[in-house]
Amino acid sequence: MQPVLKIDLATRESRPWEIPADWQRDFLGGSALAARLLYEHLTPDLDPLSPAAPLLFLTGPLTGTSGPAVGRFVVCGKSPATGLWAESNAGGFWGVALRKAGYDGLWITGQSEKPLYLLVTSEGVTFHDGRMVWGLDTYETQEALREWHPLPGLRVATIGRAGEIGVRFAGIFCDHGRTAGRTGLGAVMGAKRLKAIAVQGDKALPLYDPTAYGAARSQANRALKNQPMTQVLRDLGSAGGAEYFDYLGEMPKRYFSLGALEGAENISGASVAETILVGKSACHSCVIACGRVVDLGDGTKRKGPEYETLVGFGPNLGFTDPVFAARMGEICDRYGMDVISASGVIGLVFKLYEMGKISVQDLDGLQAEWGNEHAVEVLLHEIGAGRKLGALLGQGSLAVARHFGAEEAAVQVNGLELPYHDPRGASGMALVYATSPRGACHNKSDYFLVDIGQAEEEIGLAYFDRHAGAEKAANVARHQDWRSLFDALVMCHFASVPAETIRTLVNLATGRDYSLEDLLQIGARAFQLKRVINHRLGLTGKNDRLPEAILQPLKEGGAAGYVIPFADMLAAYYRVRDWDPDSGRPRAARLEALGLGETIPSLWTNQTGEKA
Amino acid sequence: MPVFPSEDWLQALCRKLNDDAQYARIAARWEGDLAFIVEPEGPLTERLVYYLDLWHGTCRRAAAYKGLDEVQPAFLLQAGYGNFARILQGDLDPMQAMLTRKLHVKGNMAVMMRNVPTVLDFVRCAREVTDDILR
Repeated sequence: MQPVLKIDLATRESRPWEIPADWQRDFLGGSALAARLLYEHLTPDLDPLSPAAPLLFLTGPLTGTSGPAVGRFVVCGKSPATGLWAESNAGGFWGVALRKAGYDGLWITGQSEKPLYLLVTSEGVTFHDGRMVWGLDTYETQEALREWHPLPGLRVATIGRAGEIGVRFAGIFCDHGRTAGRTGLGAVMGAKRLKAIAVQGDKALPLYDPTAYGAARSQANRALKNQPMTQVLRDLGSAGGAEYFDYLGEMPKRYFSLGALEGAENISGASVAETILVGKSACHSCVIACGRVVDLGDGTKRKGPEYETLVGFGPNLGFTDPVFAARMGEICDRYGMDVISASGVIGLVFKLYEMGKISVQDLDGLQAEWGNEHAVEVLLHEIGAGRKLGALLGQGSLAVARHFGAEEAAVQVNGLELPYHDPRGASGMALVYATSPRGACHNKSDYFLVDIGQAEEEIGLAYFDRHAGAEKAANVARHQDWRSLFDALVMCHFASVPAETIRTLVNLATGRDYSLEDLLQIGARAFQLKRVINHRLGLTGKNDRLPEAILQPLKEGGAAGYVIPFADMLAAYYRVRDWDPDSGRPRAARLEALGLGETIPSLWTNQTGEKA
Repeated sequence: MPVFPSEDWLQALCRKLNDDAQYARIAARWEGDLAFIVEPEGPLTERLVYYLDLWHGTCRRAAAYKGLDEVQPAFLLQAGYGNFARILQGDLDPMQAMLTRKLHVKGNMAVMMRNVPTVLDFVRCAREVTDDILR
């Protein structure tokens, strides 16, 4: 593994950090290794927006190797949205360029007196006055830095205005709309007055056996390219399954309160393909190419909407127009805001308006009625600029609901808004959302696909009915562990690659001899370590819950009448995870078995698992 | 007693699709012919191509071919005999087969994904006419 470059923005000093070999072996890379690197540093009294808070960019051992969908990087730290573990990964080319500069990660602390940006090359890091780009949007910033530093292959990760003003769901953006959107790490970057990080390099990437790896990855890519799921993603984008999700009652409508909405079939990858699609885009060396390029009628080629944008600014708010969703998605991207949380908090405003909790006066004359496009656009601009009610909305759904005395109305878990896969249509998502290490999240496990059939016999991942209950708890945990491995590799979850192929690639890249069970253990170790970190940050078993709206049955659609047996599912899940039923803490014996014995004193007073 | 794969089974499926009210309703908007390509495996020693012309909830024609030279259907569904048999016996969900790389689909994916309920009901009909499989 290449070193992580430690950068102090206050002193403008940097030094390479060699990662201990046993950590590389036990955590591989990505967010798994990040959890180990950050473990000692994420303390309860650490303000995530303070200079001391570390912001860690990390790649994985396959990043940039042209393997199957491995062009990604991850950003980790403490979340200003949740106060818990934060991670968010992005595709594009930025992570590849960082590795080619000779670094597998950047560890950033401190706070600059004035706005700045960084340029990282194989020569190290240089610090540049960022006042000229402070205030620019994410697209403008990328263009400016590429113009000022015309280096071949230069890539820029940046925040927008939302990150500068501390919106709790500000993200980090690169490569024209590739986003590390969730958990508010853009606000952490903004608090450091760090506008952007440009990276450039042309070094060869470290591979244990490049010849054998080259053959294996070519074979893996050929197989991936011909997969039916790849074909759906390439032809239709991430919204390729939208009609089916709608049919199953898994696509939320009107802020999770309706099971059916006339015209919802327009919100799909097929609809986009048949109307506004003019091209496709791909991350580094990816054979899937799920990215959409659209023309909204003005002759300009733009980033097209993916599933979460289409639904978040579609049926979630009472709309069925892909063009409107695409426009709102671009506004979010330019301000540097996560589309899930942004559309979620606006959905909450609409719901509170319907409930009579928010008035027209609160909204400065806006009528927050389902389907009011003007209201959505105005609110997005207010959030992105921190104006009027936007200053409150930028604190996230939980803060907004509390402000208006309706905390239970917020559809969130631990401060993070729910993505648009309703657990009433795919019950496994109930456990995924409740126990995710970063709040409600579909990227720590896309179990909604397992609930419609994406089982993997090779790793013991079975197929249960989408409305099965406690009996699928072990399967959900297994899938979370598997996806935690993907996040250690920073491998795209869309890569439908056989487990044995992944094992081969990892071993050829690292020179180790992992078995599949070893790799699953790495995933399990990472998942439980993030749980330990969260407990230390104040999480308890009471946090493992679902919003009230999700526990109510829908009256219409493909999930009508279904009530999630959540208590039974969670109890079974706790048994599988070996979590204490009172506190929710991982038991000492399980931590020891996973090689996390050194974390036990932070949770328990002794090795037998007595409470601290 | 139709046994998969056989000409009897194929024609029984065509009749079932024409007689089944539920399929007629769900597939009312479906337009497109398809072919199963059953790859030799286990007791099946040669490749089979089963063609079905499906139109607005009916089956207009069904025929077995030696290869794909004689027909150019809008959709191809290709799998080994064992996985087709598992789907028809209810041991493998068709979406599961597609998502786990056991069943390969070629054709307009926009049409396919818009019509997943039609595909699932088509499989229900196919299962209901399958009395046995080649052993």
